[in-house]
Amino acid sequence: MGVRFGDEAALRNVTLDVARRERFVLIGPSGAGKTTLLRAVAGFVSPGSGEIRVAGRDVIALPPERRDAVYMHQTPVLFPHLTVFENVAFPLRVRRSSEGEVRERAGLALEAMQMGEYANRVPRTLSGGQRHRVALARAIVGRPPLLLLDEPFSALDPALKRDVREALLAAHSQYDPGLVVVTHDFNDAAGIADRIGVLIDGEIAQIAAPSELFARPATLGVARFLNIANEIQGRSDGTGHFSSPLGSLRVGAGLPAGPAVAVFGPAAVRVGSVGGIAARIVEVRAYHDHSTLMLSTSAGTIEAACPAGNAYCVGSDTTIVLDAAKVVVFSAPL
Amino acid sequence: MTPARRAARTGLVSVIAVTALLPLAFLIALSVSAEWFYPSLLPRRWTVENWNVLRGESAAIGRALSMSVALALGTGGITAIAGLVAGREIARLDGWRRRIAVALAFLPVAVPPLALSIGLQYSVLRAGFGGRLGGVLFAHIVPALGYTTIFFIGIFAVFDWKVEDEARSLGAGPRDVLIRVTIPLLRRPLVEAFALGFLVSWAQVPLTLLIGQGLVSTLPLELMSYVSAGQDHLAATAGLILTIPPMVLLVMAGLAVRRLRVVVP
Repeated sequence: MGVRFGDEAALRNVTLDVARRERFVLIGPSGAGKTTLLRAVAGFVSPGSGEIRVAGRDVIALPPERRDAVYMHQTPVLFPHLTVFENVAFPLRVRRSSEGEVRERAGLALEAMQMGEYANRVPRTLSGGQRHRVALARAIVGRPPLLLLDEPFSALDPALKRDVREALLAAHSQYDPGLVVVTHDFNDAAGIADRIGVLIDGEIAQIAAPSELFARPATLGVARFLNIANEIQGRSDGTGHFSSPLGSLRVGAGLPAGPAVAVFGPAAVRVGSVGGIAARIVEVRAYHDHSTLMLSTSAGTIEAACPAGNAYCVGSDTTIVLDAAKVVVFSAPL
Repeated sequence: MTPARRAARTGLVSVIAVTALLPLAFLIALSVSAEWFYPSLLPRRWTVENWNVLRGESAAIGRALSMSVALALGTGGITAIAGLVAGREIARLDGWRRRIAVALAFLPVAVPPLALSIGLQYSVLRAGFGGRLGGVLFAHIVPALGYTTIFFIGIFAVFDWKVEDEARSLGAGPRDVLIRVTIPLLRRPLVEAFALGFLVSWAQVPLTLLIGQGLVSTLPLELMSYVSAGQDHLAATAGLILTIPPMVLLVMAGLAVRRLRVVVP
């Protein structure tokens, strides 16, 4: 699928399959086209090219109400003139479901979201978390094959975010829609995704399971977007070796000879190893479960993660060794 | 607030109240009096005879009142709904399409009523609706629709379209969105637009005169005939009757608006 706004391409050749019951999270920098992609699938943006199929049905020419893909905005948009029950019953009412079916299914959806006792309340009397739960109940009550959520966790405090995430997972497990969630928070993405797609400049740069994505970013652009802490310049010799001021690493074949960039997270750096490369501790950041060391090396400043409880002194000398299995090397951009 | 400012504010409010209420008081006195000549401060005789114009065999004002109410209710109801639909569509346009549509909505409001009347007279008479209630209703709707459309363009300029998008994504077609979401959400502006359309029709003279061709008699036309005939007491009575329905409407609209929370999302 491709989407253009005037002369500007918002999405280019995006190909994406999401299975029923799958939890797919889309991440990417601001302006990458995440919301445009969601809105195109939902029918609010017209793709200039390509096809969109929902549950095997080509929906590209259909209006939003006939796509069976429910789109939820960042903040829950409840209908203020309807009670909680009537909000949840809305998708059934517009399908002209029988009163008995409406009562049964809306009641079940509310119970699934633990909102049964609020059925007769109006939206303005609900808390933020309750509004999210009602919006989720309303989204799933019609058992749509696809649920599209645009930044559902942004602007929420940590407790509310946890509450909404639990509600979302509960809704998903009971109603089994294919789920596509847009977020900019890596922790949120890793916490709910079966797979994560990275959208950069209107193109899908990588789709992978969370552990795979963070361990093996497919491109330097993905690695930089994922904010992987360390990046050092060096050279590839074309035979699977990368050399830099931090020494030589075997990184696997396939990389052409020439300037290259090694990318690795703090966990790839072992501190205090015998025979390692000299480094000086310039900063220590202590967290409840680990410490992060900022180390000055001949290749620049390197970030390393260490278990909590060890004492590190700023200004003291140490050594580091890179775990080659956790280092990814790319050809340097021209 | 300083005493001087308080005094100035009290004085200003008093002037506004007196200028608004004095003509009304004079109308009331004139409608229940007879033989009130200059320079007498009060009438020599009080009477309710003037109010007989509402009943009896020559109940011209009563019939005109019914006609005015029917026209104003029809105009208010039709233009409130049509203005909502038109305003909504115009508000969703972009660029030059929006500018042209807004200009078209302003046209019947901006054109002087007499010029509009002559233009409408030609088209309505050619269509065979001259001298008929339907023709006059149509003629009243034209300027009133301009006002209500402009009113709703303003309402929809601050409307959060996400609520309609969400409804459509949940399976509601355009008609369901309008009936189940947009109209209930905009109950308060709808009441206000109805009042606006009602008032435009209620005070309409040139359009009624030219399109109705004297066959459709409304209260403002009756009032004008009393004035031109020098029947001051009857004119005052008709003037008072002309004042009462809009007052009642405004009070009722105010009460309804107060009951309907502001729910524009």
